[in-house]
Amino acid sequence: MTISRRSLLQAGVATGTALSFPSVLRSQTTLASTQAVRMVKSGDLGVFDPMISSYYITADHGSAIYDTLFALDSRMTPQPQMVGNWGVSDDKKTYTFVLRDGLGWHDGTPVTAGDCVASIRRWVEVASGGQLIKALATDISKKDDKTFTIALKEPLGLLIEILATLTPPCLFIMREKDANTPSTDPVTANIGSGPFTFNQELARPGASFTYDRNERYVPRREASDGLAGRKVVKVDRVIWDNIADQQTALAALQTGEIDYLESVPMDLLPVLEGNPDIALQVLNQGGFVRYLRINFLQKPFNNLKARHALLYLIDQEAAMRTSSPPEYIKTVTSLFGTKTAYINDENTGWFKKGGDPEKAKELFQEAGYAGEKVVIVQVTNIAWMSNVAQYVAHTLRKIGVNAELNPTDWGAVTARLDNKGSVDEGGWSIYPTADVDFAMGDVLGNPIFLANGDKAWYGWPHNDEYEALYARWATVATLEERQSLAREMQRVWWGFVGSVYLGATTLPVARRASLTGLIGMPVIVPMWNMQKS
Amino acid sequence: MAAYILRRMLSTVAVMAMVGIFVFLLLRLAPGDPAAIIAGDKATPQMIASIREQLGLNDPLPVQFIGWVRDLVGGDFGTSIFAGRPVLELIAQRLEPTLSLSILTIIVSVTMGVSFGILAAWQAGGLLDRILTAFATLGFSVPVFVVGFLAIYLFAIRTQWLPVQGYQPVDDGFGTWLVHMILPTVTLSIPYIAFIARIARASMLEVLSEDYMRTAAAKGASSYSMLFHHALKNAGVPILTVIGLSFAGLVGGVVLTETVFNIPGIGRLVVDAINKRDYPIIQGVLILVSGLYVLINLAVDLSYTLVDPRIRY
Repeated sequence: MTISRRSLLQAGVATGTALSFPSVLRSQTTLASTQAVRMVKSGDLGVFDPMISSYYITADHGSAIYDTLFALDSRMTPQPQMVGNWGVSDDKKTYTFVLRDGLGWHDGTPVTAGDCVASIRRWVEVASGGQLIKALATDISKKDDKTFTIALKEPLGLLIEILATLTPPCLFIMREKDANTPSTDPVTANIGSGPFTFNQELARPGASFTYDRNERYVPRREASDGLAGRKVVKVDRVIWDNIADQQTALAALQTGEIDYLESVPMDLLPVLEGNPDIALQVLNQGGFVRYLRINFLQKPFNNLKARHALLYLIDQEAAMRTSSPPEYIKTVTSLFGTKTAYINDENTGWFKKGGDPEKAKELFQEAGYAGEKVVIVQVTNIAWMSNVAQYVAHTLRKIGVNAELNPTDWGAVTARLDNKGSVDEGGWSIYPTADVDFAMGDVLGNPIFLANGDKAWYGWPHNDEYEALYARWATVATLEERQSLAREMQRVWWGFVGSVYLGATTLPVARRASLTGLIGMPVIVPMWNMQKS
Repeated sequence: MAAYILRRMLSTVAVMAMVGIFVFLLLRLAPGDPAAIIAGDKATPQMIASIREQLGLNDPLPVQFIGWVRDLVGGDFGTSIFAGRPVLELIAQRLEPTLSLSILTIIVSVTMGVSFGILAAWQAGGLLDRILTAFATLGFSVPVFVVGFLAIYLFAIRTQWLPVQGYQPVDDGFGTWLVHMILPTVTLSIPYIAFIARIARASMLEVLSEDYMRTAAAKGASSYSMLFHHALKNAGVPILTVIGLSFAGLVGGVVLTETVFNIPGIGRLVVDAINKRDYPIIQGVLILVSGLYVLINLAVDLSYTLVDPRIRY
């Protein structure tokens, strides 16, 4: 067979075209990248209503499409956001708020004081701090279209802090008709007054959600500072892609198909660290504090010495190494986290690097431990929870404790935690969980600080002395006094061991180097200010 | 034939009804509470109880079941607890990616699987047969996600020829759609090619050893005529069965492939719904998929008449 030059040339051109075809098509498939930012968040947005849900991702969604009366700046100080002016009466019992100009809903109607009142009334039914306001309020009502008041039975110095809380559920202002929905009925209208609008048409639950710049949003004049100040959106659109597999998400970030990855698989960090197109950035400097909730109602941890044993047993660095590299780990000895205004060193003598298993074993014996089963809730579809549960079980078994893991998925965990019965009746002994460090300073907003037994959060810790101190928190006027009160609370808390800390982790997010302007705050990753070159 | 089809259609309804009852009860009796998931783990028990009440989950089981059946009969598959949207709308959103992946996979799998099976049978015992058999064994043994991640590494990250993930609707451009489907289709096709090739080979070998094949050869029939006019039709019944079952499995959702390549298909929809205990979606998808499964089986049974004129209903 003779091969002519013509046929060879033709074959060469055809081959070259075929080889380049995918690249040509691939370039055609890339979105107009300067117009949209694609983000992969730490989970799937399953609940849209940020006023009733305690999920951080729902709060993130809320911060995009809704606005808040006050917002925290980078020093965690509340600043007016929707509020233009505000004041408090001489007796410190009546707060008056006047909305700033330019506030409008995505449906084109103006924001009014009635919307704010309805939103506050709905929110106080659900949020811990809000319930304190509800208990103290004699009246929450509007005076005119831009003015509303909150009148209290007695002064509440932390009212503004509570309204500005970042511990979900946060107070996002909704339209009156949405806010008049019972707090048990999730609002899914997604119409807010925030810097982004929610694109319902492009919403693909479980797959992707699209947020468009709200062209009608009027930002404040002050410079952007944390979540406060100007909210200027510098991109046309932000798309939240729900990529369930971390490896796939990482690969998509490497190729530029996404711009931001919130949960970076820690074992794959080295892959990203050498890549000049990708930057690792710690947005939440305080990180997450991980801890164990202990069941006060059942053996063995209804015994104080057994709880002390657990406190001495945990090697925080080892516990945190189950899911974080050492450079992103911190030990935690203060009840109030690592960076809040209330951290202190009161009654922290229990802490020992590496833990103290000998002391723990001794304490279990003193507690009269007789081999009772200790059930540790292991949430298998959240990697760090699963890993740390295994670490705790292993550590307990090494000192002779009959520890058993109870694997469950997130969907079933609350049903398990609700069970106050013994482990043989489906109950539990230890539940590993976490909170953002900010929430460790939000005493009134975070239910983990309660120790009122049956009414407390899971574990149902109970200590009257501590509760008496806790009750004073809302009445204390200055930061210094609260810091002094925090010392006392911490002393008592570690005395009766309301919980056991595992450590803290400051996990970085990964972003394309071309994506800049990310604001670093706890809980929420603001989508305003970021831009893509 | 018409009576047969009618009988099978009626049995489809019966199967869907049984699946519906089973799934309904299983969901309500299994651990997990959508109200608790909505509220989050910091919610008070009172809040969770109120949400349960709001969702109607505290109603007696028979009341919930009758309400659900009544809506179903009226064509209302319910509303997603979390998304607040009709279940049928959410399923419809996921149908195109699933059907795209399924149809492309079955086309590639059948074309290559049947071809490999025929070739392997024709060259039974030879080098080609051994190579194809080894490929089939490997294709069946290596997990889909391993192949998927390797493919992503080679063709997306290293060479950047193809995208890593995602689905683009056909409306956005045929080329865009196709290029996003290449890697998932190839990945998912491998085990199906292996499976179909093995069945095709076994079936063809059985037929090739029949007397009438020897007679055809003695009469001077060409290899092509023997393989495709005489053998393949007679070997077709088991091959069609396998193709039908494969397609039914594909349409039901291939979660691993959808997860690796981030394709928003039916498989991911139902797995996400299970994780969140979104009962209406789980119920809706499983009923529809069970009905589809039965209908595909019916189509396979009817297709036998095309290859074997002795089969009549």
